[in-house]
Parts: sequence; C-alpha cells; structure tokens
Amino acid sequence: MNPIAIGVFIVIALLTLGSGIMVVTVRNIIHSALWLIASFIGVAALYLLMEAEFLAVVQILVYAGAVSILVLFAIMLTRQVTGEGVRVVFERWWVALLIALGLFGVIVPTLWKHGATWEEAAKLAQVGPAPVEGAANSLQVATATEIGRSFMGEYLLPFEVVSVLLLMALIGAVVIAYEERTRRRRVLTLAEELALKKRGIVEPRDAEGAVVPREAEAAVILLDSEQA
Amino acid sequence: MADALTQLGFASWLSVLIASIIKVTLILVGGSVGMMFLTWYERRSISYMQDRRGPNRVGPQGLLQPISEAIKTMTKEDATPRDADKIVHFLAPVVMLGATVLSFAVIPWGRMFPVDLNAAVLFVIATGGLHSIGMMMAGWGSNNKFALLGGMRGVAQLISYEIPQVMAIIPVVLMTGSMSLQKIVEAQNDFAGLGWYVFSPVGLLGFALFFTASLAEGERTPFDIPEADSEIIAGYMTEYSGMKFAVFYLSNYMSNLAVCFITATLYLGGGNGPGVDALGGIAGGLLSLIYFLLKSFALFFVMVLIRATVPRLRVDQLMSFAWKFLLPLVLVNILSASFWVALLRWDQQWPKLTEWFGAPSTADATNWGRLAIAIVLTLLINAGAVALIMRLTNRNVQKHLYTTDEELALGLS
Repeated sequence: MNPIAIGVFIVIALLTLGSGIMVVTVRNIIHSALWLIASFIGVAALYLLMEAEFLAVVQILVYAGAVSILVLFAIMLTRQVTGEGVRVVFERWWVALLIALGLFGVIVPTLWKHGATWEEAAKLAQVGPAPVEGAANSLQVATATEIGRSFMGEYLLPFEVVSVLLLMALIGAVVIAYEERTRRRRVLTLAEELALKKRGIVEPRDAEGAVVPREAEAAVILLDSEQA
Repeated sequence: MADALTQLGFASWLSVLIASIIKVTLILVGGSVGMMFLTWYERRSISYMQDRRGPNRVGPQGLLQPISEAIKTMTKEDATPRDADKIVHFLAPVVMLGATVLSFAVIPWGRMFPVDLNAAVLFVIATGGLHSIGMMMAGWGSNNKFALLGGMRGVAQLISYEIPQVMAIIPVVLMTGSMSLQKIVEAQNDFAGLGWYVFSPVGLLGFALFFTASLAEGERTPFDIPEADSEIIAGYMTEYSGMKFAVFYLSNYMSNLAVCFITATLYLGGGNGPGVDALGGIAGGLLSLIYFLLKSFALFFVMVLIRATVPRLRVDQLMSFAWKFLLPLVLVNILSASFWVALLRWDQQWPKLTEWFGAPSTADATNWGRLAIAIVLTLLINAGAVALIMRLTNRNVQKHLYTTDEELALGLS
C-alpha cells in the first residue's frame, strides 16, 4: 500500500470515528443526527478508498440521503426531545455496551479471517494489472455486477428472506397508514362549508366550539372507494 | 490528461496532481459561468413569454446582468437570526453547494469526461439526495416556522421523487449494460451518431418520466412547493440573505444545469451527433461539446416554458402524482426495457440461451426484423400503460375537484 493512501485512510478513519463519537456525546439531538450523517459520509469515503465505487455510492444514496433524513424526521415529529440538555448516559447503559462488544466480537474475527486474502490481493495489485477475471476473484471487488451475481447465486436464500422481510414491513406500513386515514375526518373546503350552510346544515360543535367528529366518515370513504 | 503531462517530463504524482487541479478548476468555472448564463437566459426568455423585455440594460442585451447581481448580493448585509442555530445555519448553504458541485465531477462535457466512475449514474442521484440534508439544516437552523415548514416540504418532495427518478434510469442501464456515463454515451452512437435512446419507445417514456421527476428534484415550477412564496414566504430560504442566499441560488441553478446535462447525456446521446466521428480529434471534440450544450440548453428552455405555463401543484397533488402516476409508469417502462434487451441482444446478456438456441444471426435483415419487433412490442406496452394511467388519473382528478351533494350529505348529516 502506498504511503499517500495510508495517510488518506488515517485522516478519513479519524474523521469518521470522531464524528461517530460526537453522535453519542453531543447533547443536542439534532446535532447528533447531523454528526451521524458526517460519519456515514466518512464510511462512504472509506469504501471509495477501497475502490468499491458502487458500495460507496449506495452508502451515500441510502444512508446519508435517506436513512438519516428519516432519523431527522422522526426527531422533529416527536417534539419533546428536540430541546437541549438530553441526558447522554441512561441506567441501562451496560446493555448498549454488551451489544457493542458483541458486534465488535463478530467483526474482528471476520477481518482476521479475510485479512490474508486482502494482503494477497494487494500484492497482486502491486505486481501490475492482473487479468480481469483473476483480479475479480482474488480482490473480491464489490462492483455492481459481482454483488448482483452473488445475490442471485451464492446468497440467493438470504437475499430472498430479506426481500420478504422488507415486503412485510412495506405492507405493514400501508395497513397502519390506511387505518389512520379511515379514522380521520375529512377537512371541508370553504366552498363546501358555504354550500352546506346554504342548505341549512350546520356542523355540530361541542361546548368549546370544536367540531364533533362523526362515524359517518367511514361511509364516505367506502363511497369513495366504490366510485374509484 | 495526466499521461500527456508525464510525457512532458513531470513526475507521475505531480502530473496527476496538476491534471486534477486543472479539471477541478474547469468544472468549478464551467459550472458557475453556466449558472450565470442560465439566470440571464431564463429571465430573458420568460420575459418574452410574458410579453415584456426582461433585463437588457447591463452590457449587450443585458448579458452582464448576473455580474451586477453578484456584486449586489455580496455587498448586502448577511444577517443571522438571534435565536438561530448559528453553525447549522451557516453550514446549510455550504452542504447544498457542495452536493451540487460533486455531481459535476462525473458529467461529461461532450466527449470529455472529468472522472469516469463505474457507478456514475447512481453517483449523480446520490449527490442530488444530499440536497435534502442541506434543506433540512436550513429549515431547522433558521429557527423560523416558515423555514421549517419549507424544509419539511422540500425533504418530503425530494425523497419521494428520488424513487421514480432512480427507477427511470434503470431502462437506460439495462439497454447499455453499464452504469458508466461514458459507456452510455458510446452506446448511443449508432446510426451516424443519431442512435439516441429517446428515439426508442422505452427511451421516450423514460426521458419524459426522468425529466419530470428531475424537475421536482430541482424544485422547478410546477414543483416549487418548498419555496412557494405565496404560501410560506421563501420556504427554507426565508432567513437567508446576502452571500448565503446567493450560495443557495447558485446551487439551485447549478443543479438545474446538472439535470439538463444528465438528461441530455442519458437520453439525447450526450455529445453524439452527425459529423462528430467523421471529424474526429479536437475538432470532433469541439463539435460534440457544441451539440451537448445545444441539447442541454434546449432542455432548459423546456423548463422555462413549463415555468411560464403550468401553475404550482398542491402538496397532496404532488405526492399522488409521484406515487400514482410516475411510479407505475416507471415500473412498466422497466418491463418493456427488459423485453427490448431480450429481443435485441439476448446473446450478450444470457450466454446460456445462445448455447441452447445458437447465436442470433448478425445479418442485417434479422437485426432489422428484431428491431422492428422490439419497437412494436415496447410501443404497445408503453402506450397502453400511459393511456390506462391517464384515464385513471383523470377520473381521480375530477372526483377531487368536485364534491357531489350526496357526498356532503353523507359526510355531515
């Protein structure tokens, strides 16, 4: 490995780790989410350094562009936690520690096992441009083609299981959202309210002046779906 | 470029460094000059559409107007709200501009490719997705309700239109067999440089869908809901002034420029055109650059035309347009693209089939025949899908425009 690459690696790794530490130590939860985005982008840069362009781009597309936005949305929609001064350490901190250690225990043996392969590949790369097939085998280059082939070949079953899981999550979200919608009362436009007033129908209100919700709403939605 | 410098006698690392610096400078200068031209071009053309003259006093035909505006914004006061999150407020425009400039790294200028990334197509979309972070930061960091509303609207819009945008590209990737923009441009060089994807039924539908989704990604009218000035002042930009506002403005126009460039590259053949290969060398490169710029600015003219004609959508219309109109059509388009690929080059995609049935003859007659079958089949699928979905959408729109008395009575009596 040439010294410039090592230097770049150290800088990126330190930035990634630093922003990772900031995620768990910063007290403002929005700032913590923003630091999380920074560490995602750092990981993408590491992928790029390993010449896994496809993985790097997908990391930015999925994690930095979508997951982090989801996190931000979740934070902003639950208003209580947006304020500052959120506690960083909770009573059950040891559970988190256990999980982190367990994950570390999975990752390190994997690295240990594949380290030899990678060193071999690095030696091959130093010798010169290897024939494409051989390079792909020894380097385990994570190009889109390679990933696609292994999804559809070697790892077909895990891939399908994950697909089914995602599909279930999708259907679950639709079901929940649909139920929410049937309970909600439709908001009338001004013109509709005026038309109703002209016909002498006044919306029923309770003592405080709020509109009383009705059960007839479900019937309207039924009617809607029948017409469609 | 680096090779040429090494031949001149520079050390290899130095020549790589110099070449990179030259490329980066060209990208930055090209992007910002393009943006300045774009603002003038948009204002002049929309003025003529609205029966007025537009900026025509500074320089010949008002061409220097963008420079005077740049000086004006730079000398304006740069105010930050007292209770704003200062750092986030400051970083938001930086993130936006950074994401936009990143996407310029892979955009080919005619036949010149700054960086030929293997996943270049995805890279452009990914950098576009980073805009949502900047938007969120601007909305939240301003500590202003209108800004937050605008930011939320913008992010919701960006992440829902990203899906049809990404999936509209899949047919192009299928037809090319690669995600590199260079390969995509090369693949459209048949028929004397006129084998553009937009001339095939798959490409035509893909072009329309991708361009529409990109309009929403670039916050152009009719999708400019995040900064709808009559509803929420200026959306996430409400609390920005002076240079920071100018940076937002710059990144907005640069991303619109990038959208035009990418659409021209993906569907309109990039720098391909009649005569480029015949000329060859530097002259051919220049001709391809001219073709490319002409195509891109024609696309931008379409954007301006849309801005002058179509009124802004409501938020619910925006969402149902993405999910109920664009997404089904995009899926159908992927289906017909796979038919297209299967008919035209199953020998390349599936060697197994060649083993079983023998290689398809490369004789011209069979190729033309297969092309004709592919065009008819994909045209039928796409036209049928468009007609069906248009019908369904029209019915839906009419239902939402007029509420019948019965519905009112049922809902409230």
